[in-house]
Amino acid sequence: MAQLTNNFSDWVKQQVDTDSTFAFSEAVRSPSLSRLAEGVFPTRKDEEWKYTPLGVMLEASPDRAVTGALDIQFVENLKQAMPTAHTIVFMDGNFSQEYSDKLADLETSGVKISPLSKLEGAALQLAEKTILEAALTDDNIFQHIALGLSQNGLFIEVDKKVECPTPLHIIHISSANGATAFTNPINITRLAENSHLKIVEQFASLGDAAVITVPASYVQIEAGAGLDYYRIGIENGSTNHVCNTAVKVSASATFKSHQYLLGSNLSRSNLEVSFTGPGAEAVLRGVYLGDDKQHLDVRTYLDHAHPHCNSDQHFRGILNGQSRGVFNGLVLVREHAQKTDAQQSNKNLLLSRDARVDTKPQLEIFADDVKCAHGATVGELDTDALFYLQSRGIGKKEAVLMLTRAFAAEVTQEIDIESLQIYVQSKIAAALDEIVTPNV
Amino acid sequence: MLSIKNLQVSVEDKPILKGLNLEVKPGEIHAIMGPNGSGKSTLAHVLSGREGYSVNGGSAEYKGLNLLKMAPEIRAREGMFLAFQYPIEIPGVNNTSFLKKALNEIRKHRGEEELDAIDFLGLIRKQMKLVEMKEDLLKRPVNQGFSGGEKKRNEILQMAVLNPTLAILDETDSGLDIDALRIVAGGVNKLRSADNAFVVITHYQRLLDYIVPDFVHVLSDGQIIKSGTKELAMELEERGYDWLIKEAESKA
Repeated sequence: MAQLTNNFSDWVKQQVDTDSTFAFSEAVRSPSLSRLAEGVFPTRKDEEWKYTPLGVMLEASPDRAVTGALDIQFVENLKQAMPTAHTIVFMDGNFSQEYSDKLADLETSGVKISPLSKLEGAALQLAEKTILEAALTDDNIFQHIALGLSQNGLFIEVDKKVECPTPLHIIHISSANGATAFTNPINITRLAENSHLKIVEQFASLGDAAVITVPASYVQIEAGAGLDYYRIGIENGSTNHVCNTAVKVSASATFKSHQYLLGSNLSRSNLEVSFTGPGAEAVLRGVYLGDDKQHLDVRTYLDHAHPHCNSDQHFRGILNGQSRGVFNGLVLVREHAQKTDAQQSNKNLLLSRDARVDTKPQLEIFADDVKCAHGATVGELDTDALFYLQSRGIGKKEAVLMLTRAFAAEVTQEIDIESLQIYVQSKIAAALDEIVTPNV
Repeated sequence: MLSIKNLQVSVEDKPILKGLNLEVKPGEIHAIMGPNGSGKSTLAHVLSGREGYSVNGGSAEYKGLNLLKMAPEIRAREGMFLAFQYPIEIPGVNNTSFLKKALNEIRKHRGEEELDAIDFLGLIRKQMKLVEMKEDLLKRPVNQGFSGGEKKRNEILQMAVLNPTLAILDETDSGLDIDALRIVAGGVNKLRSADNAFVVITHYQRLLDYIVPDFVHVLSDGQIIKSGTKELAMELEERGYDWLIKEAESKA
């Protein structure tokens, strides 16, 4: 019987010693376990964490999430974002055969998906290899929590030259009510040469529990392959979500990422992309939308280690109330990465006096024949544009909504799955409708 | 329709309009001319409700309503329209859906039924011919990437669709070549009727070759110093503003 613990750090330490079944072998877990045993969490004195208020999260002593009441309509509503997709549902961290959908013919078409709990033999070895290859440079404790305590998640394997026309829709639902719950789903994705896949990963809350969500994703995209990876966070306002994603992009391969941080009390995403061969491409997009005391934090790290690779980043933030946004993006262009084209842009819209954003776009360039640009803006609504709309009969609230929706649409219009674009835009519109008051 | 009496307006404590009077009746076209800095654009902005102007005295009534107390959108819904000197670019807001929204807000205010997408498209296609505008501009964000002439035509298109009772054209001719000027003026001429009125603010007489005004007023240092008919505009074209300003000063 587990003893009650006083805080998250103690709880994590305790988990190290439990005799639960974990997804990965001792060899993969042990570096993480030794970090967890130390139990050292970052504080505001750590440069990389100085803006991130972990306090509430670290004071909590959670328990593994257990499934509360189910609501089929809730699941169906989430599926609306991707009505024709292969749907993989995780309820409180556990794969749900019952709610998952349209998985029957996946394997014959060359896409293998396996819940981590069922992984064994060669597949397990390949999954672990993917994790080790993807190794994050940001050695934060949360990736060790995700990995060291991993019990569930998904391994996706796409065979050579397989074009998967229908996207995978992975839905993580937290159904717990009441006390703090914990989940740490891991997603491992491997695309063999010249294969293509689209993944939409969505996090949502059905219950009201303050969930600590610590996911991690490890992605390997082999030569000539292409992955579109959409990630949408719409969890309840008590959730604390800290995720890590490590992506390796091989020669002539492409990676496209969209992240939408639209919920949670705290949401922090660390996305690391490394080019491991020439001619690769990465497109990173994202919107964070905050209100009240929300903290939304996007970190990107792009490693241009090979020549002729392109990266293009565009992130936008809309912040209201006392919410806070962080964009911290580092592009590293190594000495031999000639003919690199790296673009990075971060634009922020503050809707209230107390909202705040810290933006830190960074370029470190060691090659001499490159095209790199970065820029960041923080601004308020354009009063000229507002007046222009009003002068045509559009009321002030509606005018503000039109302009803020348009600000986000500059990113969301690039979602090239139509139903998903409509879904994300409607979620953003609904959130804005709530936060924009008539007398803004 | 529009009745301005002794209007005094300042910007950041600097008086700009210093007792302006103007009466506009349905069916009339009034031209307001004057040198740079005389207060022409301030007048247009105050009448349309832009922030940043303090009214220190006088009144402005539109259809018997106190114009100066109305929010900009209410003025528009009551039938006022300002064609901007510098139309604003609005990234991400589609030109067509913007105009549909605007029209339906105005129709709602009038107690009319909102137009659906098909009826609206029919209306806008018809009015686009008036200003000879290319259809692809409808699919673009409002004014974004439009040339100077396209922006001004877009203003006239909006005016044609919203069908105002009082339109104020703020230096609509500035930056237009002669062909664009003819198209824009042609649009205005087709829209004029016995029920609506236009206030055409311009620095140059040439627009008035195409939009023939019933009255011409000369604005100088925040006051109308002379009113007349279109012949006054021609005289100004020939002799400039200086003689009038001197004449006004000697009277004062």
